[in-house]
Amino acid sequence: MTISAEKTKYELTGQEKRFIGWHILVAVIALFVGSLFGPLQAFEFSGWDLYQYLAPALKSYYQGLTLHGVLNALVWTTFFIVGFTNLTTIKGLRRPLSHPMLNKIGFWTMLVGLVTTAVPLLAGTATVLYTFYPPLEASWAFYLGLTLVVVGSWIEGYGFFLTYRGWRKDNPGIRSPFIAFAGVMNMAMWQIATLGVAAEILSMLLPWSLGMIDATDPELARTYFWFTGHPLVYFWLLPAYISWYGMLPKQAGGKLFSDSLARLAFWLFLLVSVPVGFHHQFVDPGIATGWKWIHAGLTYAVFFPSMLTAFTVIASLEYAGRKRGGTGLIGWIRALPWKDPSVSAQLLAGILFMFGGIGGLVNASYNINTVIHNTTWVPGHFHLTVATAVTLSFIGISYWLVPHITGKKLYKPSWAVVQTWVWFVGMIIFSNAMHVLGLLGAPRRTPLGEAPYVPEEWSGHLLRVSIGGGILFVAVIMYVWIMLRTATGKKADPEDVPEIPIAESLRDPQLTPEWLDSFKPWLIGAVILIVVAYGPQLLEQIANIQLNAPGIGPP
Amino acid sequence: MTSDLGDGPAEPEHFKPTGTVVILTAFVLTIILLWASVYLILLSRGVTT
Amino acid sequence: MSVEQAPAKKTMGVDPFERNWMLFSIALLVVFFTLVTIAGFALGFQVPGVETEVDPATVADSGPFASPGLRQIADGEYEAHVVARTFSYDPREIEVPVGSKVTIYVTSVDVQHGFKIQDTNINMQIVPGQVSKLTYTFDRVGEFPYICTEYCGIAHAAMYGVVKVVQPGAGGDG
Repeated sequence: MTISAEKTKYELTGQEKRFIGWHILVAVIALFVGSLFGPLQAFEFSGWDLYQYLAPALKSYYQGLTLHGVLNALVWTTFFIVGFTNLTTIKGLRRPLSHPMLNKIGFWTMLVGLVTTAVPLLAGTATVLYTFYPPLEASWAFYLGLTLVVVGSWIEGYGFFLTYRGWRKDNPGIRSPFIAFAGVMNMAMWQIATLGVAAEILSMLLPWSLGMIDATDPELARTYFWFTGHPLVYFWLLPAYISWYGMLPKQAGGKLFSDSLARLAFWLFLLVSVPVGFHHQFVDPGIATGWKWIHAGLTYAVFFPSMLTAFTVIASLEYAGRKRGGTGLIGWIRALPWKDPSVSAQLLAGILFMFGGIGGLVNASYNINTVIHNTTWVPGHFHLTVATAVTLSFIGISYWLVPHITGKKLYKPSWAVVQTWVWFVGMIIFSNAMHVLGLLGAPRRTPLGEAPYVPEEWSGHLLRVSIGGGILFVAVIMYVWIMLRTATGKKADPEDVPEIPIAESLRDPQLTPEWLDSFKPWLIGAVILIVVAYGPQLLEQIANIQLNAPGIGPP
Repeated sequence: MTSDLGDGPAEPEHFKPTGTVVILTAFVLTIILLWASVYLILLSRGVTT
Repeated sequence: MSVEQAPAKKTMGVDPFERNWMLFSIALLVVFFTLVTIAGFALGFQVPGVETEVDPATVADSGPFASPGLRQIADGEYEAHVVARTFSYDPREIEVPVGSKVTIYVTSVDVQHGFKIQDTNINMQIVPGQVSKLTYTFDRVGEFPYICTEYCGIAHAAMYGVVKVVQPGAGGDG
């Protein structure tokens, strides 16, 4: 007899829906504004300078690039993820948040942080790109604002942890619901991860930008930053995985192929996401090659749960496709509900993610990294990952989430389906060209339209970047328009409002072993790995800290 | 999540993900091809010790 | 319909195809990592490591970075010291005879820069306070631009130099 808890379904209250809605609203606005700069950059590559028409409001390519990176890679993602985790916690555990005031405080802290950071960004005193490497200095408000966004996410995280802990106390011996466990675990990983950037900002960047210290140790800053920077990408990715494992199979008409392996994949991310940061520093001075090589090995290890995900998710989809009547070795793919924009978004995101993963493996490969470091290959790669696997999946999620929380129907679902394909096509063109240009030697973070060392050989690829970027911009506008029309449409009949899709697994999750539903061993393992992989090198850099790079201040 | 999962409480349904294997075989071949081509670029550009 | 029974053993219930996939993935990663390690530690395709630490305020005042450029240290072997600053490299040009083995040291006196010599594996992050070093044998005649690959300010895109690899006797050395 299967044991299960709380057999009744839980419907989100109006207040909970609105709270989630605020997160999504901020996220979508950030995506919209951040994406405005995309075509400016892409067109610049072909020498079409639109910046001249936007001066003095927009001062440079680099200010636009900073806004693009911060708003898209940091704000859209964080706000969507925290909003989504509210949903997965409440709906997954079938109970309200245990301390909703915490989450409210967290959200407001994030919002205040966003505004604080936006001011210098828009004023042009934080043109430091989303990695803000010292000693290129931004206004103190930039660093403070980012800190508050992170702190706010921690506070909301505590709200999730307490709710989850309450559920576990009330349900001893019962498997925690997958989407709730996974969302909480992602937040736990995030809190460990953000310790790095917190140390960087609190010990160096804020004191420096406030004039309390004169200079920074830029290599130590890089080590702190990338302690956070790699698990950051899993903080982004794991919510998409939550949907692919825990929701998409239901939407496709099937079930989750393996509850155990889904959980194992997540635990492996908790274990190995952090101790890999040197793979962003393979060509840095001041870090021993031995440690770089060890981090490369650990990065290969963290690739494994994604390989596992590929199988489990595709198998779940195959189950669904065959259940819907699909036949043939791969013919069942066509039987999947491609007309559901939430499904098409996530299927297309998954397809492109396969290439993002391959590129990531290349990046992780120690010396192979010298071929592509700081070339356009890198943004080519991360537009397949954060800008497709994550963003297009989040877009797909919002295609049911926003109707659900607003009680309205999705505006023109057939257009939404088209929107996902426009994104897909635009991204293939853009990303492929960026990868090729990178192999040819084109640097990232550079207005190639004006660089004097650009050979004729690159022109065709630069043009493709411009075309791809333009198409992507159309896809973003379509998405924002659909969201706007959905949110401002009229209330729908309740039966027309989508439910939150929660996938069942083929096998009773209660059969999944205890060690796959227990935080302690994995947290301990994660801390041990971090201490081993980071401890010696980080301690050495801290002990030998040289605050001797005053750098260049903001205008 | 309570629902009756059909074929018995302890056995997974007898579903063989053969299509998945085909897709992932193609994926692996692609990984090998693309990774190896960048590895060869590294080797062709000369030693750096 | 379910039959009443003792609680089933908790196992992972891994599908055999998936188990094989997991094992295969691990094997593939091990093979790739071995190839990488061989290339790195046996064949010499290395990344920069720990060099000296310097003070960016004074590094160009005395010592090798005070007179940047190429210096011959042995037959067919050279050292090049390059200073990166917004928005240029000093020297802007390095001329070496073909077949030369050159050890390149780069540092910055202000902010972070990049140093990538096109069509070679020299690709380094340049961080003030640190020295970046790699050794390379230029065995092809031609011009190899070195470009800044890290955003360093408004004129970052203009920051570049060039390595000119020439036939021996075709030009002076540094």
